[in-house]
Amino acid sequence: MLKVAIVGCGKIADAHAAQVQRISGCEIVAVCDREPLMARQLADRFPIKACYSDLQTLLVEAQPDVVHITTPPESHFDLAGICLEAGSHVYVEKPFAICEPQVQALIRLANERGLKVTAGHDDQFSHVAQRLRAAVGSGFLGDKIVHMESYYGYELSETGYAGALLGDKNHWVRRLPGKLLHNIISHGIARIAEYLTDDDPRVTAQGFSSQFLRERGENEIIDELRVLIADKSGVTANFVFSSQMRPSLHLFRIYGNRNSMILDQDQETLIKLRGAKYKSYAEKFLPPVNLAKQHLGNLGTNLRHFWARDFQMKFGMKCLIESFYRSIEEDAPVPIPYREILLTARIMDEIFSQLNAESQPSATEQKLLEPPPAAMAVVHR
Amino acid sequence: MSASNKSNFILGPDDLVLITGAAGFIGKRVVRSLLNRGVRRIRCFVRNSTPPSKLQDLRSQAGMAELDVFRGNLLSPDDCRVATKGVSVVIHLAAGRGEKSFPDAFMNSVVTTRNLLEACLQHGGIKRFVNVSSFAVYSNTHKPHSNLLDEECPMEIRPEIRGDAYSFAKRRQDDIVMQYGRNRGVPHVLIRPGVVYGPGNVAIHGRVGIDTFGIFLHLGGSNRIPFTYVDNCADAIALAALKPAIEGEVFNVVDDDLPTSRHFLKQYKREVRRFRSIYVPKVLSYMLCSLWEKYSVWSQGQLPPVFNRSRWNAAWRHTLYSNAKLKDLLQWQPAVSTHEGLRRYFEAARAMHEHA
Repeated sequence: MLKVAIVGCGKIADAHAAQVQRISGCEIVAVCDREPLMARQLADRFPIKACYSDLQTLLVEAQPDVVHITTPPESHFDLAGICLEAGSHVYVEKPFAICEPQVQALIRLANERGLKVTAGHDDQFSHVAQRLRAAVGSGFLGDKIVHMESYYGYELSETGYAGALLGDKNHWVRRLPGKLLHNIISHGIARIAEYLTDDDPRVTAQGFSSQFLRERGENEIIDELRVLIADKSGVTANFVFSSQMRPSLHLFRIYGNRNSMILDQDQETLIKLRGAKYKSYAEKFLPPVNLAKQHLGNLGTNLRHFWARDFQMKFGMKCLIESFYRSIEEDAPVPIPYREILLTARIMDEIFSQLNAESQPSATEQKLLEPPPAAMAVVHR
Repeated sequence: MSASNKSNFILGPDDLVLITGAAGFIGKRVVRSLLNRGVRRIRCFVRNSTPPSKLQDLRSQAGMAELDVFRGNLLSPDDCRVATKGVSVVIHLAAGRGEKSFPDAFMNSVVTTRNLLEACLQHGGIKRFVNVSSFAVYSNTHKPHSNLLDEECPMEIRPEIRGDAYSFAKRRQDDIVMQYGRNRGVPHVLIRPGVVYGPGNVAIHGRVGIDTFGIFLHLGGSNRIPFTYVDNCADAIALAALKPAIEGEVFNVVDDDLPTSRHFLKQYKREVRRFRSIYVPKVLSYMLCSLWEKYSVWSQGQLPPVFNRSRWNAAWRHTLYSNAKLKDLLQWQPAVSTHEGLRRYFEAARAMHEHA
């Protein structure tokens, strides 16, 4: 029986506790939060035997095999380090750490200790993401990936997260190098990182505060981001983060030299686009029929998963956790290759470095950009 | 404080009252109610993000009284310590509303309350801690007086199974206040309003029905809605802060002449806007809630447990309400009749609808 502990008892810890409890062969033996009341509320609801407000005490007394770190990102590095030093495998919520050097240090430490780590990129383990991976693996795209587009939407609302963030100048999100983006974009970047072949791609980022934020006197937070990524082998990718686009998309398009695919995370649909064209008017009539057929197929697949009680909103997280535990028990490869976690962190570092280097647009750029959004950064590496 | 009130209230002339959530829907009316009762020193705890216009509203009520505004975060023990310095009475209104996440609701209701209670104890001299709770804490089952929901109704034993983060957090908030009363000697009063309504809160309450599935499902039927007009509720809270010899008491707040859900909905459609609704009989709504609950468990949360028997009991079970204790011990009377309160509510709702 794998002994599991959760450190950090906020919102995402609920999802971890719920998914871990669905997996056989493991037990949550303890939870920890520096605020004892928060630890207690999680332990009461799930229910879990022990709760702590000190991580060291938890590690000594509960001796967990795996620790899930679900605290705000700036504490990930220190807490993961402590857990690895104590001999526990570690699942760290996204973003894995604040910067790539921290990611490298944790992976190095894990390797030295014969332990495993993983990052909470659970979107990549949803049913639809697994179908896309299988199709790519089967060569559907052709022998080369040409381009990718990753869209990640995030709705800011006064009553929710934005309300808390905008109202609190000391909110922990503001202390992250990439602020709001730092806490959110890793899902969308990790999708691209999985299919890049080069470990040091060129990154060009442009970001600004939306009108929604500027009207509320907020120029520090960037909530609109456009990124171009190009690796040395010629694979390119666009990443778009937006708080204002409607619908708020979680979409991934991947184009090969033979065919392409579109993954919609929200609708859990995968559409395959045929590279070859039909002749003459057939191109105007047959593809819509084919698309309709595929959408119906997606509906059927989703209904089958639902009927089988296998379509929980956090299915991807369960699958990732299950795969991670299996890799520990069977000493098999980790579900997310370390290269991918490192590459995600490297791309994010580059984005934030560019945005922070040029947080104020020059006079020339102001003229070029109509209307001139505040806190705009336009940098080409 | 006026001479006539001195003997009736627990506050001395220079005693300071702290109100959390003072710029909110109920809070600003509590400030006014206290001022009307002769309280001369009030400190308003508001969020850092509270717009200046709301503070201007507060300050304009003060007249000759001393009204200072403290901007802070109740999650900060330091802010709580500074805000409670020299305070005799705390009226704790701020709570995590509208949050779907249990940890967030808990943090913004329970941790904040604990911070305030600790701060009060550090300074000493607290005469009363008024905790503004909710009907959401009651189970509405196993009541001692048949269908009557009064202060003796048991609280929800496992509030987490209702699938409502707000109920869970308010239940735990009451627990912690009572614990501090029992173990640390904090003199406290619990105020539990029903459905607080009025201009500023014009949404149709879930006790009437829900529009989750694209059409409005009318679930309340012939149930009375435990309305309390916001000014009446504010008066009850102010009296709970001032009246002597009520330590440890719980007060439910509802107005007189409560309308039925059916009557309210009919009037709403006539006065505000027309929309389609379907009445769901009680037997059917109970069965659907029960089925949903069972499926949610069986499917390991594939559907969230938002409809269940506990919620049905709390929101849609046929229930009667009483304000007898409020009238008896606090000499509270609703200043605004339900007829007039509903007229103002519909007027505000209509204006909002026309603006939308």
